[in-house]
Amino acid sequence: MTSPPRAELLRAEHLTRHFKIGGALSHRTLHAVDDVSFTIGEREIVALAGESGSGKSTIARVLARIYQPTSGEIYFEGKPVSQIRSRRDRLRYSGLVPMVFQDPFGSMNPVFRVEHGVLRSLKLHRPELSAQERSAEAARVFEAVGLGADMRQRFPYELSGGQRQRVGFAQALAMRPKLILADEPVSMLDVSIRIGLLNLMAELRDTMGVSVLYITHDIASARYVADRLIVMYAGQIAESGPIEDVLASPRHPYTQLLLSAVPDPRAPLSAAGQADRGEPPKVIDPTPGCRFRWRCPLAIDTCATRTPVLAELAPDHDAACHVAQAGADQVKAFA
Amino acid sequence: MAMPVSGVPTETAGGPRQWGGVAQLPSGSALGRVGRAIRSNRKATVGTVLLVIFILIALFPWVIARDSPTQDAYTPQLGISTAHLLGTNHYGQDLFSQLVWGTRNVLIIAFAVGVATTGIAVLIGIAAAYLGGLWDGSLSVLTDVLLVIPLFPLLIIIAAYAHGGTTLVLIIAITLTSWSYTARQLRSQALTLRNRDFLEAARVRGERRLYIIVVEVIPTMTSLIVASFLTNALYAVLFASSLQFIGLGDPNTVSWGTTLYWAENNAALQTGEPLWAIAPGACIAVLGAAFALLNYAFDEVGNPALRPVRKIRQRKGAQMEGAQ
Amino acid sequence: MPDVPVLEVSGLCVDYVLDRGDVRAVDDVSFTLGRGEFLGVVGESGCGKSTLLFAVAQLLSPPARVAAGSVKFQGTNMVGMTDEQLAAIRWRDMSVVMQSAMNALNPVKSIGAQFKDAMKAHGAFSKDEIADRSAEVLRMVGIDPVHLKSYPHQLSGGMRQRSMIAMAMLFTPDLVIMDEPTSALDVVAQRSLMVQIKELQLSYGFAVIFVTHDMSLISHFSDQLMVMYAGQVDEFGTTRTVFDRPLHPYTQGLLEAFPSLRGPKVPLKGIPGNPPDLARLPAGCRFHPRCPHAVDKCAQVAPELVTLDEAFVRCLRRQDGSLPAEAGHEGSLSR
Repeated sequence: MTSPPRAELLRAEHLTRHFKIGGALSHRTLHAVDDVSFTIGEREIVALAGESGSGKSTIARVLARIYQPTSGEIYFEGKPVSQIRSRRDRLRYSGLVPMVFQDPFGSMNPVFRVEHGVLRSLKLHRPELSAQERSAEAARVFEAVGLGADMRQRFPYELSGGQRQRVGFAQALAMRPKLILADEPVSMLDVSIRIGLLNLMAELRDTMGVSVLYITHDIASARYVADRLIVMYAGQIAESGPIEDVLASPRHPYTQLLLSAVPDPRAPLSAAGQADRGEPPKVIDPTPGCRFRWRCPLAIDTCATRTPVLAELAPDHDAACHVAQAGADQVKAFA
Repeated sequence: MAMPVSGVPTETAGGPRQWGGVAQLPSGSALGRVGRAIRSNRKATVGTVLLVIFILIALFPWVIARDSPTQDAYTPQLGISTAHLLGTNHYGQDLFSQLVWGTRNVLIIAFAVGVATTGIAVLIGIAAAYLGGLWDGSLSVLTDVLLVIPLFPLLIIIAAYAHGGTTLVLIIAITLTSWSYTARQLRSQALTLRNRDFLEAARVRGERRLYIIVVEVIPTMTSLIVASFLTNALYAVLFASSLQFIGLGDPNTVSWGTTLYWAENNAALQTGEPLWAIAPGACIAVLGAAFALLNYAFDEVGNPALRPVRKIRQRKGAQMEGAQ
Repeated sequence: MPDVPVLEVSGLCVDYVLDRGDVRAVDDVSFTLGRGEFLGVVGESGCGKSTLLFAVAQLLSPPARVAAGSVKFQGTNMVGMTDEQLAAIRWRDMSVVMQSAMNALNPVKSIGAQFKDAMKAHGAFSKDEIADRSAEVLRMVGIDPVHLKSYPHQLSGGMRQRSMIAMAMLFTPDLVIMDEPTSALDVVAQRSLMVQIKELQLSYGFAVIFVTHDMSLISHFSDQLMVMYAGQVDEFGTTRTVFDRPLHPYTQGLLEAFPSLRGPKVPLKGIPGNPPDLARLPAGCRFHPRCPHAVDKCAQVAPELVTLDEAFVRCLRRQDGSLPAEAGHEGSLSR
């Protein structure tokens, strides 16, 4: 089932980000993100899933311009992001593509009231507003995220984790964004609180037309809110496509492994892939070849010599796997 | 709206263990919060009361000491009496007046050095931490060089070079030699804050660097900054008095250290005028204690884990109440 | 000789002694654990599960203290024991695995050195005995003994947690207490570690108390399940009973807060509101402000924990039968 094609909002092309590690004299590089290309459309929630070290958080930070890409380009609303130089343009971009952070306890300055971040965002990004208008706008975004306008005067320590994360979204909303980069926004919250925030993200998409890049390691929550899923492994995209398609018939062995490991109280524990210890590699000065090959039960000779690239295996459903691309209709590595 | 209880650890799913939030004080005006904090903590109360007494004495010395401190009109070497609360010294000066009037000089030095030292340290230490790179490198080298030089000998050299220190010289000398330690401390703490999410959030929303340093970083370090101020004020009192004692201050200034200097010059302890030496020493000690108590109290207010715990009586081997 | 249960906790109450009065973090908890049984303790922030764990392990430090009740380990009450008496039991008969290995392991000592410390603290052993046993426990958890020389930061997250478990197994105790040992791990590593723990438990027959916030994870491994809320036990029974027929509205709410990976996609609500401030508990049932089935009586009478069918539940409406049996089952447990 394909949805009508959405207008493209952001396009990443061959995005790469490396970090030099070791001392000043070392030549080793950590390949945090390697040759990643994807698009995010308007009014859609794209889930970027993967384990620690998969590169998902690095991608968010590259998109937020906290890091510059080592190579590759990002196009936002059709225009290359690397051309953004003036302070005005930079401010404009950061208002259209804000970030929501993972840690509800660290994402707000404990010294100020919770509206501080919202008011500063408004002051910087919508300078045409008067102080009174700013205050009214702050009230509006607080209501929009489900917090009463009277919560604005509270201090962070008076709020629960879930409420603080909502303030994080309010800060993003104040800037009238097109795309919110949400870096594991619910991972540190209690389970019963998570749903409220996931519902909020869906509501932002539906009523305000805001897109969200939802970074997570919890695929079940991704399924709940996202339209599309991108699965990352060791800095590269393993598989991507409409979320129901990917979950119903995962083509990449890593995706299958991930899905088999998700505990579901309604079903007995899957025996597939139980031998796998869940230790993704740290990609330092890698050789060519598939980075999953050491854990993959289906690895063939090509997997050790040629790095697989993303190819479409079903409508809009891509996977980077030699075996899957060789035409096996249903690759079953961990099923 | 329910809030987590302060003092009881609350866990977040997979996250760090928190003590019910970062700050422990109820909201309200800053002054109200400080007032409540002082009243609730015994060390703070004692320290504040002492400090306030000293400040009042410094501001209005004529209220309690009628006599002029320098006039040597009295009979020398009198003992304690109602007319002369601490007796008179070798020159016939009233000792009590000397101490009372001397408070002003001591407190001026303490506060001036405290403010100047902390101000310089904040600028250099926090800027180094936040700006990083070459800035951090050069500022740190400057800090470290001064840190390594032994403090007191340097003070002596500076004071001697200035041909005996007026109060201003003492303030400058002590400030120059003390700021580096605090700068190092502040830099370390600022470094730990550097990657906190709220700072990254400020960067991402487009704040300028100076704004982040002044508005976002420094206010979260107030407790360390206040503690530094108190520590530096305390050490200023000790160093200034020491310099005056060994004769590097201006012997004609009325101050506790100079009183000690004259007492030493006249061998007060040996010639049966012990109060002359002991009293100023006691004043220095009490003022120092006031600063130190406030410092402890500030630590405790800022970090609840340091507060004294009510001793929980547990008789060894016995059953707990209601147990079975 | 009758089988003495490994652990018998009776009416345990733990208070935090604070300036403004004592706060009861654990309120009247009782349970029995037989040989080789696996008890899962589930709850969210502030429910008291970690405090309960620390109380059982006799690791409470001021301002926390046991206010009432007993903790009988193999028949002997540990509450009130001196440190010397506890030292005899610790690690030989009962051991503890903490949440974060990075916090619990000494970062400047090798794994082998830490094992040696643990062994020497609890008995006189020769160098060879220590080396042999250390290698043996590492093999038990699937780590190559060459890692005895490694430092914690050189190991991956999963391997660190395994070393913690190996350390807990040094004397093959009768009871192992675990405080969320998997919550810092990714999903594949988590599953692998849980499977390992379960295998060890079945091979060596020790009892386990496992504290977690992740109900779906524990569902596959525990024999008994205890659901805690605001310091009290709200539901207790065999795992299958609690999952198939959750009696308490909180348990139902928790189960429904997990979006499912398979099966139909349904909008979820989570549980509105926040857990109560333990210093200012609501009158009557502690859960009633958030309960979708609360009636007037719930705000007045505090329910007791009573037996119902084969489980224990603390809910007035459940106990008087006024709660319809199917209440709260919509969409959550359809197989």
